[in-house]
Amino acid sequence: MTFIRQSGLTYPVIMSTHLTCIAIFGGMIAITDLRLLGLALRDKPIASVVNGLRWWKRLGFVIMFTMGFLLFGSKAADYYPNPYFWTKMSILTLIAIHALIFRPRVYNHPEKLDASPVIPTRAKAAGALSLVLWTGMVCAGRLIGYYEPPSQKGHVVTTVSPQ
Amino acid sequence: MLLLQDSAITDALNSSEWIFPIAECFHITAFAWSIGLIALVDLRLLGVGIQQTKPSQIWRVTAPWTLIGLAVVLLSGPVLFLSDPRMYLHNSSFVFKMYALAAALLFTYTIHRKVALSDTSSSGVRVVVAIVSLLLWISVVFGGLFIAFV
Repeated sequence: MTFIRQSGLTYPVIMSTHLTCIAIFGGMIAITDLRLLGLALRDKPIASVVNGLRWWKRLGFVIMFTMGFLLFGSKAADYYPNPYFWTKMSILTLIAIHALIFRPRVYNHPEKLDASPVIPTRAKAAGALSLVLWTGMVCAGRLIGYYEPPSQKGHVVTTVSPQ
Repeated sequence: MLLLQDSAITDALNSSEWIFPIAECFHITAFAWSIGLIALVDLRLLGVGIQQTKPSQIWRVTAPWTLIGLAVVLLSGPVLFLSDPRMYLHNSSFVFKMYALAAALLFTYTIHRKVALSDTSSSGVRVVVAIVSLLLWISVVFGGLFIAFV
């Protein structure tokens, strides 16, 4: 992945694509979470939101993850000592655990949630945790750009350029 | 405008190394939120996504949440700008981003809104409006990120 590091435009284009996916994919997560919490689209079945967006969210995640991996791969040595990078990876792991816990209980059977007279607590918990985790993911991602390795402290240039 | 550079505001914003990153986190989380919700309307206009719900309903449901997100974006943005106005004003990507942002906001709250709220517009019109909307907002994101690279 040396070419990404060496080409002036490739790195920011990949990063912009990563961010664009965060925006488009983020809206899908937001509306799903708001529906699970009962804060939006209340008159529409949870199943219509969850099922309608399932494959789009997966597509968004794959593109976003690929772009993120390319960014990491092009500057792996810079990312490796960065504590915010590891914070982000830890949150990503928590998101995977969230999926393991809530997919069988919430996302895979949204009709069961609709059959209940009130939104079950497990669905609200899934929505609230998802919002918190993804917000943390975005913030940790941004903070990666602010870490200065000890040897470079005091220099203007950081390893991953801030916006 | 250049007078701002040496203003008390700029000094205050640069007094802590954490103000800028925190404002940026708000800015990014909120733009992901609001652009994503606008994109949901676009996807519906393109005929995908939450299909059981009409575009007008998606617009109405997302609109207040989109506005909250845009409010956070438009409040945190100037904080970032005021930390170093001279650099931003001379940054071609920033200038591009501001034009793209003005166009995107204008388009979203005029033509986009009108087409989304009218459930009778033809599919051709819907597709064009959705693509223009997505392209405008994507330009804003790219313009923002490239501020650090031009």
